[in-house]
Amino acid sequence: MSLASRSRATRRPWLPLAIALGAVVLGAIFGFGMPAYVVFVSTSVLVAMVSLMGLGIVTGTAGMIALCQLSFGSIGAWILEFLYLKTPLPNVFGPLSFLLFMVIAGVITAALGLVIGLPALRLRGVNLAVITLGVAAAVDTTVQQIGFPDQSFAHIPRPFGLSSDPTGDRGYFLFAVIITVTIALGIYALQKSRIGAAWKSVAFSERGTASAGTSVRTAKLSAFALSAFVGGIAGCLIVGQITQVNYLTFTPINSLGLYVLSIVVGSQLIDMALFGGILFVVIPEILKQFRVPLEWSSVAFGILGIQALTSNSNLGTSVRAALFRRRRLMEASRADAAGDHAAVESVAEAPIPAGTGRPLLVVEHLTVEFGAVKALTDVSLVVEEGTILGLIGPNGAGKSTFVDAIGGFLPQHTGTAVLDGEPLAGLPPHRRARAGLRRTFQQDRVPPSMSVGAYLRFVTGGRADPAAISDALTFFGCPDAYTPLSVVDVGTRRLVEVAANLASRPKLLLLDEPAAGLSHDEHLAFADRLRRAPEHFGTTILIIEHDLDLVRSVCSQITVLNFGEILASGDRASVLNDPKVVSAYMGETEML
Amino acid sequence: MNIIIALAVGFSSGALYALIGVGLTLMSVLTRVINFSLVAVGVFGAYLSIRTSPLIAGASLDVQTVITVVVAVLVAALISGILGWIEATWLSEATTTARSAVTVASLLMLISLSFILFGSQPQPLRPLLIGPAFLIGDVAVTKVGVAMLVAALVVGILTWIVVNRTPLGIRLRAVSDRQTAAELLGVNVKGLQVGVWMVVGGVMGLCASIIGNTAAADATSMITLVIPGTAAALVGAFKNIPLTIVGGLVVGALQGALTAFPSTTQLRDWIPILVIVLFLLWNQRKEVWDVAR
Amino acid sequence: MSLKVTDVVVRRGVGPVISGVSLEVHQGSITTIVGPNGAGKTSLLESLSGIIPIASGGLEIDGQEISTLSRRQRSLLGLKHVEQGRMIFPSLTVRENLTLTARSKADFDEAMSLFPELEKRIDSPTVLLSGGEQQMVVLARTFAARPRYIMIDEMSLGLAPVVFLRLVPVIQGIAQSGVGVLLVEQFAHLALRAATDALVVTSGKVSYHGPAQELLADEALLRNAYLGQ
Repeated sequence: MSLASRSRATRRPWLPLAIALGAVVLGAIFGFGMPAYVVFVSTSVLVAMVSLMGLGIVTGTAGMIALCQLSFGSIGAWILEFLYLKTPLPNVFGPLSFLLFMVIAGVITAALGLVIGLPALRLRGVNLAVITLGVAAAVDTTVQQIGFPDQSFAHIPRPFGLSSDPTGDRGYFLFAVIITVTIALGIYALQKSRIGAAWKSVAFSERGTASAGTSVRTAKLSAFALSAFVGGIAGCLIVGQITQVNYLTFTPINSLGLYVLSIVVGSQLIDMALFGGILFVVIPEILKQFRVPLEWSSVAFGILGIQALTSNSNLGTSVRAALFRRRRLMEASRADAAGDHAAVESVAEAPIPAGTGRPLLVVEHLTVEFGAVKALTDVSLVVEEGTILGLIGPNGAGKSTFVDAIGGFLPQHTGTAVLDGEPLAGLPPHRRARAGLRRTFQQDRVPPSMSVGAYLRFVTGGRADPAAISDALTFFGCPDAYTPLSVVDVGTRRLVEVAANLASRPKLLLLDEPAAGLSHDEHLAFADRLRRAPEHFGTTILIIEHDLDLVRSVCSQITVLNFGEILASGDRASVLNDPKVVSAYMGETEML
Repeated sequence: MNIIIALAVGFSSGALYALIGVGLTLMSVLTRVINFSLVAVGVFGAYLSIRTSPLIAGASLDVQTVITVVVAVLVAALISGILGWIEATWLSEATTTARSAVTVASLLMLISLSFILFGSQPQPLRPLLIGPAFLIGDVAVTKVGVAMLVAALVVGILTWIVVNRTPLGIRLRAVSDRQTAAELLGVNVKGLQVGVWMVVGGVMGLCASIIGNTAAADATSMITLVIPGTAAALVGAFKNIPLTIVGGLVVGALQGALTAFPSTTQLRDWIPILVIVLFLLWNQRKEVWDVAR
Repeated sequence: MSLKVTDVVVRRGVGPVISGVSLEVHQGSITTIVGPNGAGKTSLLESLSGIIPIASGGLEIDGQEISTLSRRQRSLLGLKHVEQGRMIFPSLTVRENLTLTARSKADFDEAMSLFPELEKRIDSPTVLLSGGEQQMVVLARTFAARPRYIMIDEMSLGLAPVVFLRLVPVIQGIAQSGVGVLLVEQFAHLALRAATDALVVTSGKVSYHGPAQELLADEALLRNAYLGQ
């Protein structure tokens, strides 16, 4: 691993703070230096940017369709006005009222978001789109009927006693900059955190998320609630800007526009949210100058949205991927110049691990039925602690079904499974993962939107420190922690997945064809690493693998499945030489 | 207020929701998409068709009507077909969510275009059928309402016949079951899917012509009728047409029942949401893991 | 008249899963591809039928280049792909499955005559049939389309050997009627005995190409292909 490939962000952790501070200073200069009209319009850009950042969490990071961002804005605005005009609180808190009310409005909006999201998010698919579109329309008509507390009569005072004239506009712009920057910093920090990783993971694969010990529902709901919170804040910012609002400020069509724009620019990225905010506000402003109907901007967003969706790309990630490739190229040429090549280690081949003799996983009478088809019939097996057990069999024998059932993805099975004395029955997948049972998948379920290191931090649940993460990556010869997974090939992604799950030091790790996609030489290296893994990570392993060379070289015990039943089970040599096994594999039907 | 009266009051809108729901269900089953712009294409067809009236002012009223309706159906079918072609060309193997997201983008586009072309003022979109069909007590059931229910039933029955009794239906079901396998057998998947989009779009054009401005004053409010339509379709889990029709009538009846209590008018707009939420909760008692993700 | 594959390379992700495979299937003959799982056999068939694109190389049906054609166009040229895992249309009955592809009553009847045992289930939805019956429906439906070349991927998958024994003579019959058959099989012996030509594919490369009988005779070669050294 070369130091040269470390990215800027990790070498300079203060960078986001510095950019934030710079943005505030720039905002102050801009706010007090530009013409009043420009400053006022720029405040609208900030409001749109805040809305887009909130939306980016749901649509961009967590991959869902949410169509009521401005409804959250209108709810937030309504609550702020209510607190100002219908309660005695403004007298109590004085100049701090606005800030305080804004937070309260955000929190209540988030709670409402939870109520909306709860039914929609249990099932995957487009339910959230259906429900949020309904909410957008219902909130719109309700607000039309009951109106805002200001009743187009009262004006809401601005924060810190700022006046409602152009001078106040300048001060308010600075206030909006500070709020926007604070939210941006908060979202940035969250995206780098474990919960942010859970959002990215759930957007790519729900099963993968659950297998990393994270509840899918919690991940989705937290994303949606936070997005509602930020949406509510954006609504409050609008009230402060124009001091009086009505339903036209928050039309459902603008919610649609924000959603589509969020898709087009990729508004989970802070800079892209700013760019999106500029598009959202400036294009209609330009149209206004030319006396063209403002709706043309939405038409354009719609077309751009269709383009972005059909090509499955957005501006932000495309730009970032291009930048990363360029940086890698430059670093590669520098590394070549320095002659920086890792020496090939040559150490004695590790022996096949022997167990402790204690049974770790005990499965008894496991039966899985899909309708009339029995996928597994009365399967019982024991995995000994500290060993590597090979589970083999022809295609369709039920091996992956076995892993699915043990992993908790097939709750309707019969039979029992006990891990280290703890019965697994009834536990959902993420609870099993937390109980020390991890698995990898045959299909690629490693979210490409993360870096290798962030993925390991997510899967290990923060239990592994940077040294342990780097150790696990080196152990399997994976790319360094700062590499984005999007540039890692599928075979290597599977290795990263294995490394991540071992780094979380589970009691038992189920590997479902981990070596598919690796070349022959890589197979050999993988086998050697796998043999060392039980001791190195303190983990027992069950491996499904088609390459019998690999199975032979790492497993002490082998179980063979055929037609959902156990055909043979025992030590390596006797199972592989069993004529029954040979014929099951090669279909020597003449033996019938 | 008894349940019959409530049904009667909400019947016209309920029948309309049912028809929209049937269209949504059809598209969901046959082309794997929740089509949020379904109503929008119909409204577009109907509103554009009234632009033809200066051109055909000389003809008799009946001829004018026929031409207007035909234009409405054709325009709606054409727009819908273009959307279907986009989906079938670039997103043929994408998830339902990704395919549906495109219809959100096209919905945004169509709403904005309708603002530009038709404005937000009520338009002289004359409904094809005017007046009450019959009275229940002192509540009138409109002809439009009856027509919508008949249309929903006819579309449902025709669909059932086509899907279950014709060679075309075998193809449609094959594509719906396993798109790739059908393609490998030489079935024209793209043509069939674009065809479904065009037919359902055309039905929506006809539907918009029939209801005219009775359901909503302007184009945009009419387009948002897709929301109670999705509530109806959800009752049938986007699969079952008879349940969808019942769902539409129930949403309408609930809204109708609420009109008896003037203090609850705001609640009326939340009825579709409420139905959606209740059905989602009911549908999802058990956690299911999707193999694909 | 043949299905000709020349030096085909298929990539998935970054690396090649098929590197430089060539083969030719003549009408009226059976070619069997054997090899362990993950060797790239399925990817090869998928690239021939157009499910996945090829990176380089040539694909020809009777002299016509098809690598730029759509799946449907290749199918209409007479190349039919029977996918792995019994891709039935669950909601269609046996009759409807065959009606979907048969162009005439005669084609329908001939396809039905391959599997008389389907007669009594003819109006059941295929989802209710047993695995063996489903595989029969898939084969009959493909044969009803009057293919010139059939590619069959892992016909034996999840089927009891006795069912597979029932199916092999049918495949031979289809070949004798003038269809070129390309079989991909994990159960090597029986599939090889039915075949004229054989290929062993390991790690995306052809490690044996020649008469099926010679491969059958060389037990060591076959064993190594599956179980490793």
